Amino acid sequence: MTNIIETKNISKQYEQGDLSVSALNDVNISLSNQAFAALLGPSGSGKSTLLNICGLIDKPTQGALYFCGENIADASDKELTTIRRNKLGFIFQGFNLVPVMSVYDNVEYPLILLGVGKKLRRERVTAMLETVGLLPFEKHLPDQVSGGQKQRVAIARALITQPRLVIADEPTANLDTQTATDIINLMYTMHKDFGTAFIIATHDERMSSHCNIEYQLHDGALQ
Amino acid sequence: MKWLKLAIKNVLRNRRRALVTILITAVGVAAILIGGGFANFTYVSLKEMAARSSGHLIVAHKDYFDKEESVPMEFGLNDFSSLAKKLKSDEDIRYVIPKVEFTGLISNGEKSTIFMGSGVDPKYEFKVKGPFLTIDDGNILSKREKENNPQVMLGKKMAKYFNAKINDSLTLLSTTVDGSLNAIDVTVQGIFSTGIPELDKRSILVNINTAQSLLSTDKISNLALHLRETEATFSKYNKLTREYADLGWQTWLDTAFFYVGVKELYNRIFGLLGFIIIMMVFFSIYNTVNMSVVERTREIGTLRAIGTYSNEVTRNFVLEGLVISFIGASIGISIAALTSLGLSIAEIQMPPPPGRTSSYPLAVDIPVNLYLITAAIVTVVCIIASWLSSYKASNKSIVGALSHV
Repeated sequence: MTNIIETKNISKQYEQGDLSVSALNDVNISLSNQAFAALLGPSGSGKSTLLNICGLIDKPTQGALYFCGENIADASDKELTTIRRNKLGFIFQGFNLVPVMSVYDNVEYPLILLGVGKKLRRERVTAMLETVGLLPFEKHLPDQVSGGQKQRVAIARALITQPRLVIADEPTANLDTQTATDIINLMYTMHKDFGTAFIIATHDERMSSHCNIEYQLHDGALQ
Repeated sequence: MKWLKLAIKNVLRNRRRALVTILITAVGVAAILIGGGFANFTYVSLKEMAARSSGHLIVAHKDYFDKEESVPMEFGLNDFSSLAKKLKSDEDIRYVIPKVEFTGLISNGEKSTIFMGSGVDPKYEFKVKGPFLTIDDGNILSKREKENNPQVMLGKKMAKYFNAKINDSLTLLSTTVDGSLNAIDVTVQGIFSTGIPELDKRSILVNINTAQSLLSTDKISNLALHLRETEATFSKYNKLTREYADLGWQTWLDTAFFYVGVKELYNRIFGLLGFIIIMMVFFSIYNTVNMSVVERTREIGTLRAIGTYSNEVTRNFVLEGLVISFIGASIGISIAALTSLGLSIAEIQMPPPPGRTSSYPLAVDIPVNLYLITAAIVTVVCIIASWLSSYKASNKSIVGALSHV
């Protein structure tokens, strides 16, 4: 079975003036359809860098990156954007919802990018909002809902296009304990229901109990 | 429609800033339209004045416009009646008016001065001059004046020079076509003002028969052709110069030195002002979109991460610029239209321009194409300003944009 994403000896160096800082060293990971993977490690270990590379919003300075079996190390910005649009979903620590769009509009946005018709959009967004328990809030603006609800909107937005992989960067970091537990359960349920792979950068140990793969990073290298 | 709604929502994020930009755009558009409308009104008035003064087209002997006459009427037109009749049969020509241009001395017996005279046909001459010849005292020349009592109309300053009153008697002295001197007594019928002091000091008007009698000739200097539409001048000129190649032709533009001078001056002044205003609108919109881009860098990163192409992000900002320009231009157009209407009701007079004695109405005549051109320029300026300010951010590294604080 083809992995959704596979890295082969990828490294990432950042240039800071005359200095070259190594963020990742020879990292090899592979994620299948069934992956619900946790990316663990202390701050500065390279979790976000690896996540950005897996999310195709950053490129490794060395090594090969395969998405659904294709080496995309040399893909153009437009090609990478097309892959992200069609096959990836993102959940951010700070929710990153568009403040002038309602809950409904935020979830609908990726479908507009895909050119889905209005009627089908309405059906899919309504169903998704019902699944995440936010249908009564569809007309609310992000500022008018709680942190947990915002993250639910972000999860709905990430999954509305039925992507192959969802990239989640510290999705529970800004939430209280109970809400964080609810969000972890929701993501896991969505993974099971939609068959979407997840890779989650987290410090939250409760996440580990649901994950079927764990990658531990330390100083840019896998342990 | 979705994108337009999103652009409107984004414009309304910072209402005060959007309002200031919209107002700057509105004031800019209104200033361009009012300035352009005023210039246009001036051009149209001066063009009309010039055309009514000389005729839209002037036809004369082929050498009349290029060579100097050695005796009066050397290059005059013989047998002009048949030519006038033929020209009058053209349905685009409203009037064909003969004219005799002559010079000489005018005297009241105590003092004399030189004059520039026009022998005119009173039946049509004063009709075509309309509001561009002001009668300060007395009347226009009679259509049927008595043969033994020729009339004269004096320029205002000349009348002042002679301290002449209506019905006063003056003598005109000029050289005839044979080169001898001839004099004729005339009665002051009216005093007129052209609005140009130098002309008012030297100009007189007499009946064309009086002028011909003074010069001892049946010839005329030229025929003034007044068309139904001023816009038809140049096409008619091209046609008639081909048909009557043996005659000399000029258009009103050849004699309208004041019109040409004013137009050149105004075009430069209002062109420069327009450019400055457009730049002001440009920088205002550039600044607004730029600030919006900086504030929303993280959002741009998010939109790019979830699959928005960089050109789609840029397009959204350009749409925001267009929303601002559309609202601003609409308000500006409304202000200009209301100003134009208000001025036409208020009838405010402008002081006389340099070299003139008469004031003229402050009016703004905005042609439809000026509205369209201004709206188009503002739209293009907004597109360029929005594009320039958002292009870089849209193509910025997504990771960098997402970590923007």
